[in-house]
Amino acid sequence: MLRSASARLAALYTAGFALAVVVLGWVVMATAQAALVQQFDARISADAEALEENAKSSSLADLAQAINARQLEPGALAYGLQTRTGQPAAGVLAGLHVPDGWSTPSIPDRDGLPDLFRVHAQPLPGGGRLLVGDDFDPVEDLSAVLLWRFSVALALVVLLGALGGLLMSRQAARRVGAITDTAEAIIDGDMSRRAPIHGAGDDMDRLAGVLNRMLDRIAYLMESLRQVSSDIAHDLRTPLTRLRQRLEALLSRADAASAGPLEAAIADLDSALETFAALLRIAQVESGLRRAGFREVGLDTIARNIVDAFAASAQDSGRQLDLETVAPVAIQGDAELLTQLVANLVENGIVHTPRGTRIRVRVTGSALEVSDDGPGVSEADRTRLFDRFYRPERSRSTPGAGLGLALVAAIARLHDATLELRDVRPGLAVRAVFKPFHPQSPAR
Amino acid sequence: MKLLLVEDDKETAAYLARSLGEAGHALDHADDGRAGLLLAAGEAYDVIILDRMLPRVDGLAILRTIRASGVDTPVLVLTALGGIDDRVAGLDAGADDYLVKPFAFAELLARVHALARRPPSQAPDVVLTVADLTLDRLKRTVTRSGERIDLQPREFQLLEYLMRNAGRVVTRTMLLEGVWDFHFDPKTNIVETHVSRLRAKVDRDRAVQLIHTVRGAGYTVREPG
Repeated sequence: MLRSASARLAALYTAGFALAVVVLGWVVMATAQAALVQQFDARISADAEALEENAKSSSLADLAQAINARQLEPGALAYGLQTRTGQPAAGVLAGLHVPDGWSTPSIPDRDGLPDLFRVHAQPLPGGGRLLVGDDFDPVEDLSAVLLWRFSVALALVVLLGALGGLLMSRQAARRVGAITDTAEAIIDGDMSRRAPIHGAGDDMDRLAGVLNRMLDRIAYLMESLRQVSSDIAHDLRTPLTRLRQRLEALLSRADAASAGPLEAAIADLDSALETFAALLRIAQVESGLRRAGFREVGLDTIARNIVDAFAASAQDSGRQLDLETVAPVAIQGDAELLTQLVANLVENGIVHTPRGTRIRVRVTGSALEVSDDGPGVSEADRTRLFDRFYRPERSRSTPGAGLGLALVAAIARLHDATLELRDVRPGLAVRAVFKPFHPQSPAR
Repeated sequence: MKLLLVEDDKETAAYLARSLGEAGHALDHADDGRAGLLLAAGEAYDVIILDRMLPRVDGLAILRTIRASGVDTPVLVLTALGGIDDRVAGLDAGADDYLVKPFAFAELLARVHALARRPPSQAPDVVLTVADLTLDRLKRTVTRSGERIDLQPREFQLLEYLMRNAGRVVTRTMLLEGVWDFHFDPKTNIVETHVSRLRAKVDRDRAVQLIHTVRGAGYTVREPG
């Protein structure tokens, strides 16, 4: 879930909001406390000033009496009077040891629990100290209430943020998932699929729309390819069919002198048609539509069949074709095309090597390798070997149009396989590495 | 043999009519789908040769209609479409065989013969015999004049295919498809090689040769005389 971009964004926003709530709470609490403390201090100062004024004209004992009397009045604060030596003289605060000026000591209440007081202590002109204070409870209560409320707010912000993020990323994940599914279905050969559009006109809809237009374009191009293929098939093959029929008809009543040229003409025609068919085949394989028909195929079975089919011909042509180390390997693919892939590689090994060459087919892991101990292929030629119509200098004399390996490359691409060409000194190794197939492949 | 040809190209139709006639077959010709359908439903033919690209209609649609109306005459589909999927589409629609244009007439003829010989029931004989050559499909043994001949599995399949079509020409492409299941044209002569090995085991040092090469067409196994 955290791997989705929207979930990460929601988490980031939630963290930001939570931080803002914390800062706001701190500022509000500090301001409220400061204002309240100021009020306290003003009240305490006023009372202390009045008592100090009183002290100027009376003795410590009179002051003690005044304090005791005052303490009984409604709305009275707490007082304390200490003698010059610091002995308590009068009032509840008399036993308190605090420095001169403002302080906030903790005083045990009737139940022995600590209780905060705001106290102002000042020395009297005639000796002794006057302490005036008040219970700090209101400030403490206010702080507690503020702290509680902001904590609830913080919890709500985090909860709503997480919930919103979850819903948002679910929604986004569903829509991204729908687009991903479409793309994968198309890669797998189903060209009819399109990304769903929700009609909200948001960025996701725009993305899906652009994607669909691109897919329409690709489908159109593939349809034109198909159309061109079938047009060529019809408009080219129909006259060629007639041509071949006429040549065959002529051949059937030809004398010995004209039979040879007629047969050669038919062979040329067939070879041109073969090249043309090979090009069409490559184009069709590259369209990727064959993926729709992929099923489980045994790579080892295909290798065995090919070696079984070609070993005798290889032997008759003075070469040796062997099958090496074959363990059962299942891949997802098109058996007919894979058979052709292996056949083309093996035939290349037979046709483009000198007599006495040994050709080996090996299936290991999910890779298939065809190697020979012939003269090999130069580095420059190796890079272009899979191009259409490319034929190394040395092979120009052998028959073929240079399409065999191009088809191999197209089939490998269709199967998501990588092709590697290696110089194995002496000789050339062509290796196709397929994706292993797991029948219990997990559903997305 | 009585054949039905559904083909819109007049020249190809005329050529096939002439060539098939020379090969001793009677041919009815329909140049569009509807006429072809009427003929196919009304008369008994040994083989129907059906062009896939007919004017305004896909030959495969005709084929499906023919099959849906209960006609199980073997059908050979001719097509200018050489695509990889086209053969499968043809077979799915109920075709028995598939041939891409342009084709050698010998190829068409061999395939028509092979189709016509297909037994109505799906169970072919267990033991195939040509002259003194016997092949037992169940025991997987081959004997000639009572002597056992040891064959590789693929050679056995090859001989079986040839003997099932004994007396008829079997082309190289038919063998590639029927024996190896190869639907492409290898550049190496694998069919020739395997046939010559098979021949060495079956016919070498025998007074009578049973496996014959038919020039420009293919191979055949047949009784002497």
